[in-house]
Amino acid sequence: MNMAVDLVLTAFLGICLMLSASSRLVHCVRLVAFQGILLGIMPLLMWNWSNAAPGMEIWGAAFVNIIVKGVLLPVLLLRAMRKAGVKRELEPLAGYSWSLLIVSVAGAMALWLSRSLNIPGVPVLAIPAAAVTVFTGLFIIISRRKALTQSLGFLAFENGIALFGAAMHLEYGFFVEMGILLDVLVLVFVMGIAVFQISREFEHIDADRLNLLTDNVEVK
Amino acid sequence: MVSMLALLITVPMLTAVIAALCKGRFCRLLLLTGGLLHLGLTLYCSSIRIDGRWIGLTSYTESLLLILTSALYFAVSCYCCVWLKAEECSRKSLWVLGICLPLFLATMTLVILSRNFGVMWVAIEATTLFSAPLILFHRSGRALEAMWKYLLICSVGIALALLGTLFLAFAARCGGVELHDLRISEFLNIRDSLHPGWFKVAFVLALAGYGTKMGLAPFHTWLPDAHSEAPGAVSALLSAGLLNCSFLGIIRFAALAPEQTGDFCRGLLIILGIVSLATAAFFIIHQGDFKRMLAYSSIEHMGIAAMLFAVCGIEMTMIHLVAHSAIKMSLFLLAGNLLLACGTRQIARISGLFNTLPGNAILFLAGVILICGVPPSPLFFTELSLLVQAPLWLSLPTVLLLFVVFAGMMKNVLSMTMGKNCDLAINPAHAERMIWVPVAGLTAALAIGIVFGVNL
Repeated sequence: MNMAVDLVLTAFLGICLMLSASSRLVHCVRLVAFQGILLGIMPLLMWNWSNAAPGMEIWGAAFVNIIVKGVLLPVLLLRAMRKAGVKRELEPLAGYSWSLLIVSVAGAMALWLSRSLNIPGVPVLAIPAAAVTVFTGLFIIISRRKALTQSLGFLAFENGIALFGAAMHLEYGFFVEMGILLDVLVLVFVMGIAVFQISREFEHIDADRLNLLTDNVEVK
Repeated sequence: MVSMLALLITVPMLTAVIAALCKGRFCRLLLLTGGLLHLGLTLYCSSIRIDGRWIGLTSYTESLLLILTSALYFAVSCYCCVWLKAEECSRKSLWVLGICLPLFLATMTLVILSRNFGVMWVAIEATTLFSAPLILFHRSGRALEAMWKYLLICSVGIALALLGTLFLAFAARCGGVELHDLRISEFLNIRDSLHPGWFKVAFVLALAGYGTKMGLAPFHTWLPDAHSEAPGAVSALLSAGLLNCSFLGIIRFAALAPEQTGDFCRGLLIILGIVSLATAAFFIIHQGDFKRMLAYSSIEHMGIAAMLFAVCGIEMTMIHLVAHSAIKMSLFLLAGNLLLACGTRQIARISGLFNTLPGNAILFLAGVILICGVPPSPLFFTELSLLVQAPLWLSLPTVLLLFVVFAGMMKNVLSMTMGKNCDLAINPAHAERMIWVPVAGLTAALAIGIVFGVNL
């Protein structure tokens, strides 16, 4: 089982690198969806199977997680993409090679710094993988122009936080977990509507060009 | 008894469902009945003391916040009844308002009633989701921009608070306690065995997260945009209701601080408080938009509340929050009237309101004087006790910045109210009809101030 967990955590690190370097939005949506599915099976992989089989709540949470993060969110995002008519993130504020470099350096630093953190029962790779995922999400939010890519960044960020929880065996309880998933689902739904409205109102979805609101004194 | 409390959340939800089915018809009637029912239930339930697994009502603070939120919502729904008549709005806007406003109330109630850190997080995130469509009421490009910033910045911020909640559970585990869920009362029982180092990490993350939602500088950037673009009634609820609920998140985290981390938490609150006050003063002094000015004033008061909580304790903070909510609600509603009447938010384009809109102008001036903490405003007494109890290095800059805020706000408001008459966009009688809710709010604040001042 340990092997499988390490494999999933390595996949998380790989996804971060791919996310930071890919310009096609469809590709990014698929990567984030894949992250969500991996996240859904994490608790099952971390389970100590030799003692007892996991209860209904664990199975249920994993199932709902996979459905929401692996199926519903990508569907909503792809629909928003189609409606807003965007396919690629063309000129990001930080170029793709730079992004890749920055995320790799962050990954290396996370691996190096976490050597001294030795928490019993937590896989060695878990903390750096979660930290890098959180970092990549935040980095995408600040370095990309399109509103849609920013929402993808937010989802990666949220996945990173959930990975922390899953890897460190910190549970919220079944109902709270469902609540969090519902919140994320509604958030992406509202964001999708917002992206569509922005594309209709401004004829672009570049969040960095949303700069009407300032504290300038001049009368417009 | 828990089921009575659950009713407080389900009643607004039901109102939202009915409003969704009515497709924008009877919007005002539904808002008013929902508000009235919620207020009645709140007053009935406010003395209940029960600690359930998910929701409960355990302290005087929570009861007070619950009554405050419910009363504010009722006041705002009364205002909406008159306002929606004067404002030209589409059926679709009404539909969204009718659904989202009660859901916003339901989620704020859930924040106050939650007895589990996970549930509280879910509820605070849900307040963002249901208030975001309300900002879009006018469907302009500016409102869209404000809504996008609000959604993104607050969601990222609150996600940090989720990380903080995880670290809190981790702090408990490192302290040798194995908890099965995130019940607040369980954490309170074991607060002395929380691992201090990890608790600090958790507190910093929670402060950044809920602080974003509360509008503490430097995480405040969404607040002036969202508060200025939303219609007056929504800004009033955001500023007077939502900010308090987010602060409750920080208060609940701070209540867990183990002995040796108390100074650390208080220090952080004081730093963020004074930075908020300074930021607000800086932006108020040369502000050209009167709704943004009020939004920065909310940042100022949240900063003061954070400092009050760190220096004087919870009672003073609660008085400050209640008084700020009552006055700021009135001010935002009046600002909505002025915007409707003048058709602009630019201070430079508005003048002579004493002649054209006497009722609104006098109340607006009175509200600004009260919010600046001129006696007998209750804010005067709370700010005074902060200045007296804080060390000199804190009280000196605080009092200076308070003067700067006072000067900036008075300069702007006086230039709006006096001088030559400016053109009005609508018949002034419409705007003058909408002053009764602000009158009630300001009177309530004055009454609190006088009672409090006499007892001091």
